[in-house]
Amino acid sequence: MAENGEEKLFAVARHIAKTLGHNDSMADDILQIFSSFDGRLSREKLSEKLSDDDSRGCAALEHTLKSLERQISQYITADNPIWADPADSSAFLDSIEELIATIRGWSPMASEKSVSACLVRAEDLMQQAMFRVAEEFRSLMERGGESFELNQSTRNVASFYSEEDEEEENGGLIANDEDEEIPVAQPITDYDIIIDSLPSGTINDLHEMAKRMLAAGFGKECSHVYSSCRREFLEESMSRLGLQELSIEEVHRMPWQDLEDEIERWNKAANVALRILFPSERRLCDRVFFGLSSAADLSFMEVCRGSTIQLLNFADAVAIGSRSPERLFKVLDVFETLRDLMPEFESLFSDNYCLILRNEAMTIWKRLAEAIRGIFMELENLIRRDPAKAAVPCGGLHPITRYVMNYLRAACRSRQTLEQIFEENVNVVERGASATSLSVQMDWIMELLESNLEVKSKLYRDPVLCSVFLMNNGRYIVHKVEGSELGSLLGDDWIRKHIAKVRQYQMNYQRSSWNKLLGVLKLDNTSAPNVVARSMTQKIKLFNSQFDEICKAQSAWVVFDEQLRKELRASVAKIMLPAYGNFIRRFQTVPDIGKHADKYVKYSVEDIDAQINDLFQGGSGSAGRRR
Amino acid sequence: MPTTDCQGSSASFNHIGRSILSLRREQIYSMEVAGSHDVELEAFQKNVAERFGDLSSAGNDDLLTIAWVRKLLDVFLCCQEEFRVILFNNSSIVGKSPADRLVAEFFERSVKALDVCNAIRDGIEQIRQWQKLLEIVLCALDNNRSLGEAQFRRAKKALIDLAIALLDEKDYGTALAHRNRSFGRNNASPKDHLRRIGHFRSLSWSVSRSWSAARQLQAIGNNLTAPRGNEIVATNGLAVAFFTMSSVLLFVMWALVAAIPCQDRGLHVHFLIPRQFMWAAPILSLHERILESSKKRERRNACGLLKEVHQIDRCARFMNELVDSVQFPLTEEKEREARQRVQELALVFEAVKEGLDPLERQVREVFHRIVRSRTEGLDSFGRADHNE
Repeated sequence: MAENGEEKLFAVARHIAKTLGHNDSMADDILQIFSSFDGRLSREKLSEKLSDDDSRGCAALEHTLKSLERQISQYITADNPIWADPADSSAFLDSIEELIATIRGWSPMASEKSVSACLVRAEDLMQQAMFRVAEEFRSLMERGGESFELNQSTRNVASFYSEEDEEEENGGLIANDEDEEIPVAQPITDYDIIIDSLPSGTINDLHEMAKRMLAAGFGKECSHVYSSCRREFLEESMSRLGLQELSIEEVHRMPWQDLEDEIERWNKAANVALRILFPSERRLCDRVFFGLSSAADLSFMEVCRGSTIQLLNFADAVAIGSRSPERLFKVLDVFETLRDLMPEFESLFSDNYCLILRNEAMTIWKRLAEAIRGIFMELENLIRRDPAKAAVPCGGLHPITRYVMNYLRAACRSRQTLEQIFEENVNVVERGASATSLSVQMDWIMELLESNLEVKSKLYRDPVLCSVFLMNNGRYIVHKVEGSELGSLLGDDWIRKHIAKVRQYQMNYQRSSWNKLLGVLKLDNTSAPNVVARSMTQKIKLFNSQFDEICKAQSAWVVFDEQLRKELRASVAKIMLPAYGNFIRRFQTVPDIGKHADKYVKYSVEDIDAQINDLFQGGSGSAGRRR
Repeated sequence: MPTTDCQGSSASFNHIGRSILSLRREQIYSMEVAGSHDVELEAFQKNVAERFGDLSSAGNDDLLTIAWVRKLLDVFLCCQEEFRVILFNNSSIVGKSPADRLVAEFFERSVKALDVCNAIRDGIEQIRQWQKLLEIVLCALDNNRSLGEAQFRRAKKALIDLAIALLDEKDYGTALAHRNRSFGRNNASPKDHLRRIGHFRSLSWSVSRSWSAARQLQAIGNNLTAPRGNEIVATNGLAVAFFTMSSVLLFVMWALVAAIPCQDRGLHVHFLIPRQFMWAAPILSLHERILESSKKRERRNACGLLKEVHQIDRCARFMNELVDSVQFPLTEEKEREARQRVQELALVFEAVKEGLDPLERQVREVFHRIVRSRTEGLDSFGRADHNE
């Protein structure tokens, strides 16, 4: 080898001299300069070589090449996999290493005819060796994968999306909070799993091959084989996670129930992909292309690009889809999943090749926030446009009140997420008062609901019933708000204001319904006794008929809230009973009529009390039967 | 300007549009806003016509190059932006009947275009795979290296993979058999090979396997007809803008599908644009020219009509022939020829390499803009009735 090295040195020196020197005397001068640098480069030795047509140097090359040809061609033509035997593979790699070094060392002298002829042979040998290495590389990736991954890792992945109880055992990948009707995917620390798709030994072999292929200038081929194999594996894993390629239109055309299932699958798949599959690929890539970071980055991007786009595309389709309010909860799931995966996107796709994927994830995540704001807008529109058609019978609870209140309560379980979504919206100025925060948004929706209910209350021809309707719905709203997240968003002031409002409706009811009747019982102390007697007789008659009428109507009305119903009855009783009692007592003392009082007095005070307690029996009472 | 009967359906649409605009201007001439509204609509017509006029002025060498497609996308973005402003300025009209129906229709069309954009993005990725094979060829036949058998063998392998990648589905089996004869060290089954290079063909993550670009284009163009006179009147002339933008959308998507590989390409879309629209002539002429060039390259249709793709195909085929014909050692003449072919290939490679990334970004931008404009539309027109 030392001999060989010296030959090479001479050859280089001669080559430089020949290239630089346009004529013999110039070349001679250059050799003179060389010889003053290094004793070995004596002028005699070099100039002798100069005319000797490099026969000795070339002979060394020839010698090396012959031996390499002998060693390498036995492998190139081998029928069995070379990497089946570690001794074979390492001998093969050593020969390749030497071949690479030889080509590299002699290439500067390629202009020498004899060297160049040798180099052509060397390149030829290299190409054949590389084809063989590439093939072995591929089959190692495929075979290594087959014997290993199917048994171990893939089953691991499979268990992530199979049975509920299995998930429980794994620490619960997806946890369903029991008293919430909306399942929320919760990331679990158990994602700390890395799949080793290939055995460690295989990975080392692959690394050794990759190193040689890159050194020999066959890096493109290597990366190409690597990424096509891994991509196939990854896409297969993705489809095992139940994910399918869907166009945006297909997602939009899907019945909502199917889409809900698809979203659930997506949530799980996205978590498994970003937390397990992609990091595993990243690690494998970094190990196979250890020290070859550019090839590693490129290959990793090639492997993950398609699957990532597929995942993101679905989220995008959901974001662009219908804004129907019932979709809120599932879209929130997608938003939260993507949000929680953003750190993974950031770290996995941090290199230049993957930058585009990271930006895509960010864009689509933002679009989901926009979609959720859009859903709230749609909710507003629905409330605003909900037509005042037929009045709810008996002044009861309107379905829209129930819907909106339960909807908002459920939505507020994701309060933090929603706050994040609405805070982000600062630069979008809306309807004068900019809707920048969630509480403003909720306040606004409540306002819309109330004004819609007010329009609906106008449907009742009886103003008393109108008050009952508003009272009922107002009471329900307050009831749903109090003690909930929604309540803490709207604030105590809001609640106080609305309790007062309900009380106001209650007063209105009492005033417009019972105060009139109370007026009938008003005693006239100024008139002459006979006039009083006549007027009282008329009054009691009037009272009887009006009281009957009120009771007949109002016993059918509905006050859904037990406590409110009791309050109402009590307050009616509180004003009616004393007044009626007074009136009766006075009536009975009126001369002439007093004796015949029973003829006029239809109800005792107890009767009145009992009748009042029969008010607001609602749909189950006479109202239902009357229909 | 002649006054035309607005209801006369046979009358020229352009004139109808114009005369109505001017008629209205006379009626409400005192209202400044109305005046600027008409100016805006007319400017839109003119700008669309000018932009497409510019596109159609491209010579046959420039038509359907990456640069041209990028210009086309630029034009789309400009038109879209202008249209967005028009919608915004007219939101009170647009939120109400009968214009609200036009909005709904337009958004429906534009959502359909999103899938085309995604399929095109996958198609660009497919071209990128071809580009990678080209790169191997160039790497093998590097100008600074001597050209020996080894280099040609290496190039040949990449060229064959490239040729297969560029083939139609139906020619697949025979090609594989050929490839196996050339390179099959062990007799791998065709299925095996399909699997090995299969990923060249199934580069679609954004649409399902059954998705068809041809059908999607038809869906975008469904019921797209020029507005009638009474429609124009009823929508204050906005119907013309909607028809214009819808036609631009359809044409741009059609041209993308024509140029770039994607699933089930089919160019049988009829453009029913009355000649009277200022922009009709350039769009129809482009349509005709693109169709013409698709007929010329019938067989290689699957790959798209993009000039650079055609050049990849052409150069690769020449190179293939050359590689098959050479004997070693190379004669000086053959070597010169090979060097020249490599140079051609390098030029194509550079053009593709430089062009694809910005093209992909632009396709994405088109996607985002369509989404944004739709979102804005839903936001503002959904509320319009409230603001009355």
